[in-house]
Amino acid sequence: MAEPILSIEGVSFRYPNQSDYAVQNVSFTAERGEWLAIVGHNGSGKSTIARMLIGLLRPERGAIRLFGRLLNDATVWEVRRRVGLVFQNPDNQFVGATVEDDIAFALENNGIPRLEMVERIREAIRQVHMEPFLHYEPHRLSGGQKQRVAIAGILALRPDMIILDEATSMLDPRGREEVLETVRRLNRQQRITVLSITHDLEEAAKADRLIVMNKGEVMAEGTPEQIFRLGSKLERIGLDLPFAVKMGSRLRERGIPLRIGYFTTEELVEELWTLYSKK
Amino acid sequence: MTNHLIIGQYVPGHSVIHRLDPRAKLLIVFAYVLIVFLANNAVTYALLSLFAFAFAALSRISFSFIARGLKPILWVVLFTLLLHLFMTKEGDVICQIGPLSVYEGGIKQGAFISLRFLLLVWMTTMLTLTTTPIEVTDGVESLLGPLKKMRVPVHELALMMAISLRFIPTLMEETEKIMKAQAARGVDFSGGRFSERMKAIVSLLVPLFISSFKRADELATAMEARGYRGGEGRTKFRQLAWKPVDTVFLAAVALLFALLCLLRS
Repeated sequence: MAEPILSIEGVSFRYPNQSDYAVQNVSFTAERGEWLAIVGHNGSGKSTIARMLIGLLRPERGAIRLFGRLLNDATVWEVRRRVGLVFQNPDNQFVGATVEDDIAFALENNGIPRLEMVERIREAIRQVHMEPFLHYEPHRLSGGQKQRVAIAGILALRPDMIILDEATSMLDPRGREEVLETVRRLNRQQRITVLSITHDLEEAAKADRLIVMNKGEVMAEGTPEQIFRLGSKLERIGLDLPFAVKMGSRLRERGIPLRIGYFTTEELVEELWTLYSKK
Repeated sequence: MTNHLIIGQYVPGHSVIHRLDPRAKLLIVFAYVLIVFLANNAVTYALLSLFAFAFAALSRISFSFIARGLKPILWVVLFTLLLHLFMTKEGDVICQIGPLSVYEGGIKQGAFISLRFLLLVWMTTMLTLTTTPIEVTDGVESLLGPLKKMRVPVHELALMMAISLRFIPTLMEETEKIMKAQAARGVDFSGGRFSERMKAIVSLLVPLFISSFKRADELATAMEARGYRGGEGRTKFRQLAWKPVDTVFLAAVALLFALLCLLRS
């Protein structure tokens, strides 16, 4: 088993002046190169976890370990260099006047010498396929493009891990696909660990592993296949099952002998059009 | 227009004036604004005008475009001109209109003061026409650098300026969106009595304010997540490069200053 890059042990958190816990006794680990999705309905505590991971919020109880070291005041800046967080709103995380200025922002914060900055910006912009937009101002970019710039800003720091905090929820389907495709490529080619926080099970279905959160607690954990077997249990906590999964289970209810219990759209199509010849 | 909106009145270009170091441009315009007040006769005003025209000609921006920028102050200029024309009582009487008499000194004084006004606005307009707001910010930060020793938060001020500039188009887009949303709910922004229009504006400002505060909060969180912890130990991506041509222009202003001192009466 690979080394855990991230481990959370018994973490609880409460927002000031609130009696209920936003996150309660949550534990999980992530391995290097893994794509882990945390899914849950609004208010399930998943975004709070993202904020705790880079030290924006402090857990009331429990410990967070990243790269084998405890997250505390001494290590928080190191963690923020190695872990990038992409937020939900594309506009409210774009600091620079132009694309290159924005990518440079985190590099400036970390005191990277200018010559190296230029090199790293060029490398990062290439990785998100945004080279022609280097001198564009943010208001001339689409939401998906802005999110890719945000990812480039993280890549320039050569991170070990990217956290997507509902990073695609304000995008149109095309922008969403652009962003996810970019992250998927980085995950495969550079083995950057991805922690995707989302309420979209369609998006989460592509992860290696899923953690389902409900009311601040971990409700289930497993591969997409294991999780989607929960079926209506997921719907009861406000999550919408992917179309292919719903379709698959309806077809089985009608007595159509589909092979397995969980499908992506492609698998379902494949299963259906080969069904007759298999008989 | 909205998808390639120009902040301020910057006119993109590659002229020698456009490419001047923003620090040089700031210094030139600042020095010019000061030495304008040295001029007090025809020769010195002619020199100042020549400099202003040469500066504009080198920027390759059409004079008519610059003149359009002067329009708003035309009334002020006209008012000063008339005021001096009738109030100054020096030299010979040129003509008499009813109870008012126009003296020679009045004409001279009126023309000079109006010209001074025009030259001031002309040169400051040149600065904003040829320099992007972000360059101005960089220039100001660099020029005010020494004040850091006196604990003036120069870096913070420059960052504030840069962020507000970056968010102007975003907020304009949002204003437009809110206006449309409120209009769809029956708010009339153009017609009606003054009090009704004020009420309509409130329905625009309140959502705009709330969302701005939310934006500010999220932006601060994002900045912190990206490792921002103040100006200490920070490097800069944007760098200003002082070129020989910048020195040449500053020397030209110094020369102008010397000539004004010599030729003023």
